[in-house]
Amino acid sequence: MAMLVPSQILPQTGETRRLLLKWVIAFLVPVLVFTLVWSGEAILNAALLAIFFPGSFSIAAIAAGLFMLLFYGIITGLTGYLVAADSGRQSLLDLWISMFFFTVVPILLIYITANLFVGLAASVVVWAFYYYGRRLVRRFRPPAPLPPLPSLKVLDAEMRATLLTRARLGSFWFALSFSLIWLLVDLLFYFTGQYGQASLVFLVWILLRSVLLPVAGWLLGSLGGLVAIRHAVPANGNGSNGDRAGAPVSTRRLRLLSATRAREEARDLVPNDLPLRSTGARNFYLLLLLALLVFYPMIDPFLFGPGTDSRLDNYGNAGYYVILALGLNIVVGFAGLLDLGYVAFFVIGAYTWAMVGSPQLTVLTGIHINPDIWPWLFWPMLIVAALIAALWGVLLGAPTLRLRGDYLAIVTLGFGEIIPIVVQNLDKYTNGTNGLTGIYSPAFFGVHWNVSTSEPYYYLILVLIAIVLLANLRLRDSRIGRAWIAMREDEIAAAASGINLTRTKLLAFAAGAFFSGIAGAYYAAKLSTVTSGNFSFSDSVIYLAMVVLGGLGSIPGVVVGALAVYAVNVLVLPQLDALGNDPSSIIYPIYTHILQVIPNFSFSNIRNLIFGIILVVLMIFRPEGLIPSTRRRHELHHTEAEGVEITSLDTPPGAPGFESEMRVE
Amino acid sequence: MTLFLQLLVEGLVIGSIYSLVALGYTMVYGIIELINFAHGDIFMMGTLVSLFMVTNVFHLTDVSKMSLGGMLVMLVVTCLASIVICALLGVLIERIAYRPLRNAPRLAPLISAIGVSLALEDIAKAIIGPNPVAAPYLVPLVHYSIGSVDITNTDIIVLVVALVLMVGLQWLVTSTRIGRAMRAVAQDREAAALMGVNVDRVIAITFLIGAGIAGAGGFVFLLSTNNTVFNIGFELGLFAFTAAVLGGIGNLVGAMLGGLVIGLIRALVTYIPDRDLPFGLPHGGVAWQDAVVFAILILILVFRPTGLLGQQLAEKV
Amino acid sequence: MNEVMLQLEHVDTFYGPIQVLHDINLEVRRGEIVCLLGANAAGKTTTMKTIFGLVRPRRGRIIFDGQRIDNRPASDIVRLGLALVPEARRIFPRMTVLENLQMGAYTRTNKAEIEQDLDHVCQIFPRIKERLKQIAGTLSGGEQQMLAMARALMSRPRMMCMDEPSMGLSPLLVETVFETIVRIRSEGVTIFLVEQNASMALSLADRGYVLQTGKIVLSDTAANLLENDLVRQAYLGGS
Ligand SMILES: Nc1ncnc2c1ncn2[C@@H]1O[C@H](COP(=O)(O)OP(=O)(O)OP(=O)(O)O)[C@@H](O)[C@H]1O
Ligand SMILES: [Mg+2]
Repeated sequence: MAMLVPSQILPQTGETRRLLLKWVIAFLVPVLVFTLVWSGEAILNAALLAIFFPGSFSIAAIAAGLFMLLFYGIITGLTGYLVAADSGRQSLLDLWISMFFFTVVPILLIYITANLFVGLAASVVVWAFYYYGRRLVRRFRPPAPLPPLPSLKVLDAEMRATLLTRARLGSFWFALSFSLIWLLVDLLFYFTGQYGQASLVFLVWILLRSVLLPVAGWLLGSLGGLVAIRHAVPANGNGSNGDRAGAPVSTRRLRLLSATRAREEARDLVPNDLPLRSTGARNFYLLLLLALLVFYPMIDPFLFGPGTDSRLDNYGNAGYYVILALGLNIVVGFAGLLDLGYVAFFVIGAYTWAMVGSPQLTVLTGIHINPDIWPWLFWPMLIVAALIAALWGVLLGAPTLRLRGDYLAIVTLGFGEIIPIVVQNLDKYTNGTNGLTGIYSPAFFGVHWNVSTSEPYYYLILVLIAIVLLANLRLRDSRIGRAWIAMREDEIAAAASGINLTRTKLLAFAAGAFFSGIAGAYYAAKLSTVTSGNFSFSDSVIYLAMVVLGGLGSIPGVVVGALAVYAVNVLVLPQLDALGNDPSSIIYPIYTHILQVIPNFSFSNIRNLIFGIILVVLMIFRPEGLIPSTRRRHELHHTEAEGVEITSLDTPPGAPGFESEMRVE
Repeated sequence: MTLFLQLLVEGLVIGSIYSLVALGYTMVYGIIELINFAHGDIFMMGTLVSLFMVTNVFHLTDVSKMSLGGMLVMLVVTCLASIVICALLGVLIERIAYRPLRNAPRLAPLISAIGVSLALEDIAKAIIGPNPVAAPYLVPLVHYSIGSVDITNTDIIVLVVALVLMVGLQWLVTSTRIGRAMRAVAQDREAAALMGVNVDRVIAITFLIGAGIAGAGGFVFLLSTNNTVFNIGFELGLFAFTAAVLGGIGNLVGAMLGGLVIGLIRALVTYIPDRDLPFGLPHGGVAWQDAVVFAILILILVFRPTGLLGQQLAEKV
Repeated sequence: MNEVMLQLEHVDTFYGPIQVLHDINLEVRRGEIVCLLGANAAGKTTTMKTIFGLVRPRRGRIIFDGQRIDNRPASDIVRLGLALVPEARRIFPRMTVLENLQMGAYTRTNKAEIEQDLDHVCQIFPRIKERLKQIAGTLSGGEQQMLAMARALMSRPRMMCMDEPSMGLSPLLVETVFETIVRIRSEGVTIFLVEQNASMALSLADRGYVLQTGKIVLSDTAANLLENDLVRQAYLGGS
């Protein structure tokens, strides 16, 4: 019982060709730029050298090579998926331009600046201009709004097969054209003698690669196709089992779906108007991100040259900001309790490990612990620190339950002020302003772990973040998470509908403090010293800025917010002076001009000025944060909502609110 | 006992400066529910303007060589300059950093305010450097003794200026047309607009007045302590804001009361000498000054959740 | 026929992406009482808010007394002599009754005239007069409604819009409110009235409009509307 599917949904061959062209080119350009202009090929070659020439053997290089294989594999599969999932209604040029700005530009900028954060920051600036320009263009030449789909029929087995074929074709053609261009370039190099001693091995590799790639493409295409089919409009409305294909979707659902093609609800649909934003594509991104994070320490030296250790060290520090932001997000973002003293729990966590994991323990209690075993105590103490912090969260929360809004904020602020003072004044135990030193690093099987090696910390924080992230996601979607959100929206209504406010608030404080405690213990171990003077109200403020900037209540948002604030405040701004003094950098001319006017000018003196201006500007242009949570975004676009809940389903395409929702692809 | 009374006077003086700054916090909060983090830094700018006026405009080196008339002119002009510049600064900040966020989520203007605060501090640092700067005496110091308590003429000036400004503000808000408009906007912005109130202008005026008073606060602060530093606004602002909350945020009399209470607590805590305290707590009162302030704040709020004078109005449902 | 005071032409209003008013056309002439009927969520309050610039119409024009008032702020519109008694009263709860009345006269500067109007308003609403010093938030619901009307009168409007002035009042008080409305009209104030209480409203109005899900579906004289089947069924409890 094959159903005729309108050509808008499953393009016939002519359109398939168009789709292939669209996506193959969209991905070829960035991948080629990455491979040939930047370091892709260099990493692979290093891996090859490491295998075939024992003299240069290094596990890191092989791991890096492995990552590259994964990278190409994922991209290839993704291309196939996109070809299959695309409804073909978005214009080809539009996509190419977006792809250029969002992949090629950052790659080039990071490559040019040889610094991940400076490059990304520069990209953000370019993107801002791009958005601005695009909006200008659209004001004068509004894009023809996508017509609603004439009809949307379920896919039957035959169409599923078509999808699979299209995915295979997509991956295959991508891999083929990529390998051919690569081959051409490499042969050119080869015959101009660039490859020196290893030439024969390389020639074999190049040829082998050129054959293997298209084959791999064909196979990976099946993977992309399978992902696409999983999200194809299922026959029975909700089941994912497509055997009963053919039954038309209910007209109401049809109407909604076609009205919201590119929006949240349509994200897990195939075919899709904006396939790059679909759930299927997101799976590929996550895979890629995961691979990148795990292999990062190995590929970093190839990407940015020497100095890997200090970079990893920075990332290790950025990591605890992420944990802090995630924790604070529970209190402020989910539960809506403004906390201006979050640093207190961080201090408690840090001092917990600092007192137990340093010689201070012996001084205070006379207990001697075998130095081989001592570092192992970190693991249980990590939990203990978190629990102690959580306990304090409850202790702080309990007396303040009656307080509302900003009265609560000021109490948390006071608490945040008191704790460091207490720590400082109890110098019998904490060594006061001199701080505690010689805090042990953790220990782990087979890892040589001390303060000067940053790689173990990188992996430790990665694991910690992963755990905290998962916990956050679970919490958000749990009963208690919904209670938090209900409480945030309307405390009275929440209480009226049976939510126990006391318990809910205390749990929010406890959960937030718990994660802060984890971050604190990690911080103490990583720095190996803590000093009471290092924690102040301004830290609490920075944590809050990370959460709000990223997007209150949005988990990906606060992660990005934390990284962005850390990067701007700790990585980029302090480097401006060095950059300004470097004749090859972009800001050198600006810097020299300023110097002519203000002789002893230095960026480090106006660091907070720049940071402050960035905060103001960002808030004005994106008051809802960089990646707002869906719920917040809706609130914002229907302001003055007096409790009016409007689901996004109500926006018909072409309605003015629709455009603003579609800004990000 | 003498020491105690002496500290009481000190507490009153610094407390009235807290009160002046707290007024601005409470006014702005009352009208747009924003914790204006930049307000303390406006106060700091007031000390800078005053410093600039006396050293660069009046070239003051030794006030005892000045004629009484010249000194009065200097004091009045400096104070007015500080008020005017701070007031304008307050309006400018409102226009740039807060007005575009009028309908944004609640925390967005808060972050924007933090940004402004950071920026102002760095600007101040660029002007006077990172270290405290001493100012010359603005009036020849005269000591009066009441019993065994020592009071200076600057103490008296501070108290008088603070009192005049507070009474003036209270009158403005309760008995004038613009004061009524401010309260109306605070209570129901839309209804106020329907009465013909230009809401944006009234909010701007609120900032103008609050910042102007902070400017006056900056002036008397310089007058009484003779020094300033780029982050004084942050520290003092924290206590001033605490004072505003303690008194019941949005309530002018509460802010004044809160300021005095905090000033007194901070001063009186230093009465505890530097020796081991009960429970083996080390150090004397000075080291615990801030902690005690906040601990008392928390205690008060636990028993009076809307501050000392805050009304217990039924929640809008 | 008297000249047109207020005129809405092809007005469309949106909340975010949702269109609430569709192509509204209506007019109110000097000295009339015009009444706007409609079920809950028909868009009556939205119509009022649109007139007063509290939400902006996306299309269409609003003309008051010969001047365009769409895209002018509420405070300007009020100055032109248009006053609103908003839905749910919206008095200033933490001010005294007297201060509320003074807020009503915010746009005016002549002290003597204001005093005079204060007396006049107190005469119309004797209850208010007794309670000038009371905090407005502590007034009873009915008193608050009186205060809201008195406050609107204090601006000496040429035209007054009222959004459900009878909401939540006892039948007796509703009677009083409507009597007051007639009295205000007799003093030369044009009245545009939003009501759920259709029979009452139509009995004193000159003309009426019926709003249904954001569209004007009927417009006629009040007497005709009272006879109209649709109105009878939907708003007058059938029969
Ligand atoms: N601020 C707002 N944001 C979003 N939608 C709104 C807003 N205000 C009103 N609406 C919607 O607009 C529609 C019309 O509302 P309106 O208040 O005008 O109705 P009404 O006719 O006055 O009803 P009632 O008789 O109940 O007062 C309703 O569906 C309402 O949900
Ligand atoms: Mg209504």
